[in-house]
Amino acid sequence: MKQSTKVTAALLAGSTFLSVPAWAQESFYTKAAEPYAGTTIRILDEVTPLQEKVFDIIPQFEELTGITVELELLGHAEVINRGQADMLSGRGFYDGVMMHNYQLAPMLTAGVIRSIDDYVADPALSDPDFNADDLIQRPYTTTSFTGGKQYGFNNWNYNEVYWARADLFAHPEEQAAFNEKYGYDLGPAETITQMRDIAEFFTRDAGETLAGETLEADFYGIVLEGIKGGSTFPTLWSALIKNYGGRLLDENGAPAFDSPETVEALTMWAELWSFAPPGIAEYSLVDVPTVMGNGLAAQTLAWSDFVFGVDVPGASPYAGDFVYGPIPFKDGREEERSVEADVSVVVISEASENPEATFLFLQWLASEEAQAALIEAGNGGVPIRQSSWELPAIADSEMTSLYAAMRSTLDVAEAKPKMPDSFEIMDAMSGIAQEVGLGRLTPEEGAAQGQAAMLEICTQCLMQ
Amino acid sequence: MTSITETDPPLQTTRARDKREALYPYLLIAPSMITLVVVALIPFLYAIYLSFHEARFGRVTEFAGFANYASLLADERFWNSVSVAATFVFIAVPIEFMLGLAGALILGQNVKGRSILIPLLFMPAMMAPVVVGLLWKIMLAGSWGFISYNVFERFGMFPDTSIFASPDYALYALIFVDIWQWTPFMMLAFFAGLQALPVAPFRAAAIDGAGPLRIFFRLTLPMMTPLLAVIGLLRFIDAFKVFDTMYILTNGGPGTSTETPSILANKMTFEFWNIGEASALAVIVWIAFFIFCNIFYQVAKKRLNAF
Amino acid sequence: MQTSDSSSRSTLFWTGITVLYAVVVLFPIFWMGTMMFKPNETMFARPTEWFFTPTLDHFAYVIEAGFHWNLFTSFLLCTLSTGLIVLIGTPAAYAFARFEMKAKDDLFLFILASRMAPPVCLVIPFYLIYSQIGLLDSFLGLTLAYMTFNLSFYIWVLRSFCRDLPVELEEAAALEGWSRLQILRRVVFPLLRNGIVATAVLCFIFAWNEFLFAFMLGGRTVETLPVSIPKLITAQGVRWGEMAVVGMISLVPVLAVVFVLQRHIVRGLTMGAVKG
Repeated sequence: MKQSTKVTAALLAGSTFLSVPAWAQESFYTKAAEPYAGTTIRILDEVTPLQEKVFDIIPQFEELTGITVELELLGHAEVINRGQADMLSGRGFYDGVMMHNYQLAPMLTAGVIRSIDDYVADPALSDPDFNADDLIQRPYTTTSFTGGKQYGFNNWNYNEVYWARADLFAHPEEQAAFNEKYGYDLGPAETITQMRDIAEFFTRDAGETLAGETLEADFYGIVLEGIKGGSTFPTLWSALIKNYGGRLLDENGAPAFDSPETVEALTMWAELWSFAPPGIAEYSLVDVPTVMGNGLAAQTLAWSDFVFGVDVPGASPYAGDFVYGPIPFKDGREEERSVEADVSVVVISEASENPEATFLFLQWLASEEAQAALIEAGNGGVPIRQSSWELPAIADSEMTSLYAAMRSTLDVAEAKPKMPDSFEIMDAMSGIAQEVGLGRLTPEEGAAQGQAAMLEICTQCLMQ
Repeated sequence: MTSITETDPPLQTTRARDKREALYPYLLIAPSMITLVVVALIPFLYAIYLSFHEARFGRVTEFAGFANYASLLADERFWNSVSVAATFVFIAVPIEFMLGLAGALILGQNVKGRSILIPLLFMPAMMAPVVVGLLWKIMLAGSWGFISYNVFERFGMFPDTSIFASPDYALYALIFVDIWQWTPFMMLAFFAGLQALPVAPFRAAAIDGAGPLRIFFRLTLPMMTPLLAVIGLLRFIDAFKVFDTMYILTNGGPGTSTETPSILANKMTFEFWNIGEASALAVIVWIAFFIFCNIFYQVAKKRLNAF
Repeated sequence: MQTSDSSSRSTLFWTGITVLYAVVVLFPIFWMGTMMFKPNETMFARPTEWFFTPTLDHFAYVIEAGFHWNLFTSFLLCTLSTGLIVLIGTPAAYAFARFEMKAKDDLFLFILASRMAPPVCLVIPFYLIYSQIGLLDSFLGLTLAYMTFNLSFYIWVLRSFCRDLPVELEEAAALEGWSRLQILRRVVFPLLRNGIVATAVLCFIFAWNEFLFAFMLGGRTVETLPVSIPKLITAQGVRWGEMAVVGMISLVPVLAVVFVLQRHIVRGLTMGAVKG
């Protein structure tokens, strides 16, 4: 008797519990939005395949709340330029503006971003079922919070993965030759040394043989972004220097670039460039996917989003021939491994006249339900929630190794240090990254000049 | 006034007419002048104002005196950008000028299907610079570019580097792209000028039996000088400000080997948001051009009778 | 007999030179043209694939993304601003060429001075002023901004065309008792026609390709074609085929304008014909 009551109670509780979220969510947003129904908010975001699908799910929010959402998607540089101009001029045309994590410190210093702490604390606005613990934590906590205050929810977990040609790795002759030369089995690189060996091994001239076929053109062991600006320096910094134990700033925020670890990492950087296509110093995100997609290089460290534009049937003759992995770490430093990610967040402009309505939309967009609908609509994509890994579009995807790699990257991905002068620093350092890569500066000179360039910009580089 | 009217009415009317007469040209230029004062002078004065202020992150804070100018003029990078732009301009513009003039003269001959050829030849100048940038990326990008692969790699040209990735060649490659893009512009402008020349002198020269070279140097060239000078000068100014194609192709790199003042100003404006210093750069470039144009104008006016 | 033979030979020669030049110069554009129909898979295949099964996918995306609206906006904006420039710039160019004025040289240089500073530096002052007076994202705002660089160009170039106008015709018309306006309309403008057309076409093209001002001062309402193109450079790489479609289509209106207007530029007689 007692037992059965318990069971019934549990069943009852279970069924109520199961049915509550959907109902509660709907009523919550409808009720919370009551004072704001009829308002129009404008959101500026960057154009990505997944972000384009936000248009598909906006009607759900509009129906729920009566708030009209005008979403505008622009290219990378255009979002930064127009978004910052809008906020800094105090025009306030956009209520919500997408910020890459390195934009946050400059914009916070300028005082044009509104903290959402008050809204999160307000029961009338804060979704009780939001479940912030489900957001992928490290990118979330390092990006959305600064100085103990929250400025938004993660919008896009842009991240780099290791990306290589599985068909080459699987070729028996290549396997045998590789094993003979390096003494271990050929496969996706787990460590930076392995990545270097693979790069060296596969760099071949036209006329030589690759996977049993005579090459018509030169083939390269690795390709990386190397243009001035872009992700040249961020990749060098996060995926190499930090893995070697080098760093940009010390604990107090003073430049600390000139270290033996940095020199070691720069030496590796220059070596990797020697196995890359000669155009590497002009390669931007325009080139890297093109080079990989047309079978000119064996491996790369590249943004996982590229994959969705290349590793799909019809997009590249090599679709289906790729394998993915986590960013390689330095031998013996797996625990301290570092990856490159460029997490972004949509913030509420200080000049916005509808901050509450905007908050409701951003909160809803980051909610479990909306994220599930988004990933579904995009048939996959980079998630911001842990629970999204279990969604059919990702869990049942054929790109198992891609999602595993992404997940591993996002486990340790974090925002860049919040530096008000981040743009100046990236600009100066990317020139040095190029010169070291091209062999115009030795790694030692690169480290010293980088340190000098940093000191010229700031002696205490972190946001106060 | 009244006394004049009473004593000498005819004189008054003549004077009034003279006055109206004298005012007429000012009336003709007034709409343009007013427009330029509103749309060009006001923003520029605002830029001058900004250049004397601390204006980080778009917030105009305190008066900074000449601090922005001092830091800019002391910046090695600024001078590097000036020398890059100077190299660019002094190579690209003369070549565009010569090719454009030659092309215009050829088009002035009996060319069949000219009405089709002119629009077609003009196509490079009609393309948005963003597209021009991407187009030349498709052609010359290291390894995957069409020409890089089918020509350079096949014939072993530029081994171990690609044109845009090499600090030695990148600037010249950008000059090449600029020539490709702007020669048609010069050609069309010169061709139109050629077509607008009065026919009579040429007829007379032909009757006198003058040869084509003589006609060119004695008649065509002198008569074309005003247009050549103006188009050359405008192209010179524009080439110095080149931005879009460079932004796509090299973004100033490798290192700072292709960084022009416009690329630098773009970084100051949209990345560093140092509007004060960017405005100072605008003012300095403006002053330099103003001096240059004045000298050019005076010289061209006196020596070449171009204005 | 001999003359006509040699002239037909020279026609052939010059036509040959021009066509050869056109083929070399236009090859990259032709190549981009083929990319409009190229499947992504073979876009940059090595070895280069010259023959492929064409696809219309890229066009479908371009239409779906609404690029035809950008085309329309661009056309409207460029026509509007160029029209205005012709309207107010033509009398100014004529005045500078024909009349004596106090401080004429200074005024003339003032016009050019508006074009000397790098636009990158001026766009933020413009933006800040426009955001105060509500001109951002409006046709009026962009039309005005385009005046800064195009009006000066127009006046300077057209003035050099004005110099060739025979002053006698105007004097004769004045003796006939025509008013100033009549002289302008019936004598000066018709004679200047090919200068006006050629210069206006060049201005139209400057406006057509302008990016920075259109981007910063425009927005969702006024989004020109060049501004819409960077959207094709996504975080996923470049949509090359779509870029080729937009790039080629953006040529069409300008080609049409040049094709239609060139008969005003080319006079019936050529220099060669003058001789004979």
